Amino acid sequence: MTDDHIVKLEAVWKVYRMGRRRRIEVEALRGVDLGVARGEFLAVTGPSGSGKSTLLHLMGCLDRPTKGRVLFEGEDVSALRATALARIRNRRVGFVFQSFNLSPTLSALGNVELPMIFAGVPRRERLRRARELLARVGLTERERHLPAELSGGEQQRVAIARALANSPDLLLADEPTGNLDSETGRGVLSLLSGSNADGVTVVVVTHDPEVAGIAHRVLRIRDGRIVEDTDA
Amino acid sequence: MLDLFGIAVRGLLHRKKRSWLTIVGILIGITAVVALVSLGESMQRAVKRSFEELGYDVVMILPGELGGGFGGPGSFSTPFEIDVDALSTVEGVGEIGLLNFQSVYVKAGGKEGFLDALGVSGNIFSFFKVEMVEGRGFTEGERGAAILGREVATELGIGAGGTVLIEDRPFAVVGVYSADSRLDEDAIIIPLADLQELTGTRAVTMVLVRVAPGYDVSETAKRIEDFLRRSRGRRDLSVQTMEEVHEVVQRALGILGAFLGGIAGIALLVGGIGVMNTMYTAVLERTREIGVMKAVGARNSQIALIFLLESGLMGLAGGILGTGIGSSLNFIAVFAAKRALGTGVLEYGISWWLVLGALGFSFLVGAVAGLLPARAAARLDPVEALRYE
Repeated sequence: MTDDHIVKLEAVWKVYRMGRRRRIEVEALRGVDLGVARGEFLAVTGPSGSGKSTLLHLMGCLDRPTKGRVLFEGEDVSALRATALARIRNRRVGFVFQSFNLSPTLSALGNVELPMIFAGVPRRERLRRARELLARVGLTERERHLPAELSGGEQQRVAIARALANSPDLLLADEPTGNLDSETGRGVLSLLSGSNADGVTVVVVTHDPEVAGIAHRVLRIRDGRIVEDTDA
Repeated sequence: MLDLFGIAVRGLLHRKKRSWLTIVGILIGITAVVALVSLGESMQRAVKRSFEELGYDVVMILPGELGGGFGGPGSFSTPFEIDVDALSTVEGVGEIGLLNFQSVYVKAGGKEGFLDALGVSGNIFSFFKVEMVEGRGFTEGERGAAILGREVATELGIGAGGTVLIEDRPFAVVGVYSADSRLDEDAIIIPLADLQELTGTRAVTMVLVRVAPGYDVSETAKRIEDFLRRSRGRRDLSVQTMEEVHEVVQRALGILGAFLGGIAGIALLVGGIGVMNTMYTAVLERTREIGVMKAVGARNSQIALIFLLESGLMGLAGGILGTGIGSSLNFIAVFAAKRALGTGVLEYGISWWLVLGALGFSFLVGAVAGLLPARAAARLDPVEALRYE
């Protein structure tokens, strides 16, 4: 069954050490088992501090579990070196954040190019692909603009274009509509479901019931444990 | 690599004011290094030209000892008498030129006052070039003639064809020389015999001996030294080949250069610390951005390279500007020295190795200063960096 799963968590614990001397332990995840099927659209819901973002970071190989195993396409993430993890994040995963997190010094085009720069894609090919993606999110006219010159919705669309730059298999979005009004948010969601229709596996952490509405599967987390797992 | 370069440049341009201030720190250091080192070079170049003009087959006899360090040859102020005829019998000794410096009272054009007079034997112009702007030099055995420095000629309003009274004796002005002769323009040259008559002494302040063709210069110098000690019964004169004098002067200039370079190096060190400070601030400010770059797949080495390029570029920018300003300062110093001192104690020029060295070094200072901040950036935990507010 492993081959169906793009990412799989087995009894995963994640404990953060916080505070001045890192003496305070925070258990963000407590023994999570989860398989995300290829092509799935999964929504993760739950109160603040329940471990949603941590779950997303682990799925995206941005972090390693404290205990248990995270398998990305069958490969144990804990056993991989930092460079190998960076490569997975670069080629296989796309991240979208609540606060857009665009590089303030780069234009919309430059931001979309960024993952391809790190991947070593030649300039000509990079520009072609970046323009194609900006066209797809409806920002062709805005490619020279800096993030500060774009609205929130536009910035998030740039961020989605950036996440799709290296044609990832897995798109991870952390509250992508959290900072947007509902209409702009809907536009962003349709981009996400469009990507999903193209075959990209999408995982969205959200408070937004509308997101949960379009997902194939909804997960509820509380206190670092999955408390509900329903197929739509 | 080229694309990471682009990201680095954008980062610098984004915080323009801070980047510029940091660059100024490096600029000051490099300016100091380039200006001082090239000034030293200018001195060495001028010294080298003087020696080449005089010729390395010339041996000097001076009062006192040739010391090391800054002392150099003994002063011209203690004249000595010498038996020229006996000296010319020493094996290898060719032409002998004699010089004497004295202060004399001069009257001309309704003005009067003390001037430095240089008494020379008739053949002295075969030892060093005197650049004439007007008239001619002395002929063999000529008496009662004078060559004025340009400044003196202007001051007195007299040129070739005029007359000056030196210690109340008339001298026909036969020529005017310029500072390119490496003699001060505010002096007056007369035949040695005349000067000796005027001052009532047979003494000279310097003897120049050209080594006859086919003889070794340092061996001949040794023979002259032996002769002087035997004939005078004491070691009150020193004999130096141009090679030795040149070496002593170069060594002195070398020490001076290293000293000045060291001071300039401290300025550069301070500039480097400025770069480090700016880069640490940049890393802190851009923690979140670093997190995002890691999230989209930047490797640690790529993150480090971006910050290293940023700091190296700041160093290089300071280096380019500093080299430009430093060499301009040298140019101004050489120009000012010529105006103020009237002689060619400095000669302008900047060597390519200094330019390339300064540019390379400034980039290196920037990059080394950026090393720790870049490492800090590369080592950031991506999750913590993303969470950073």
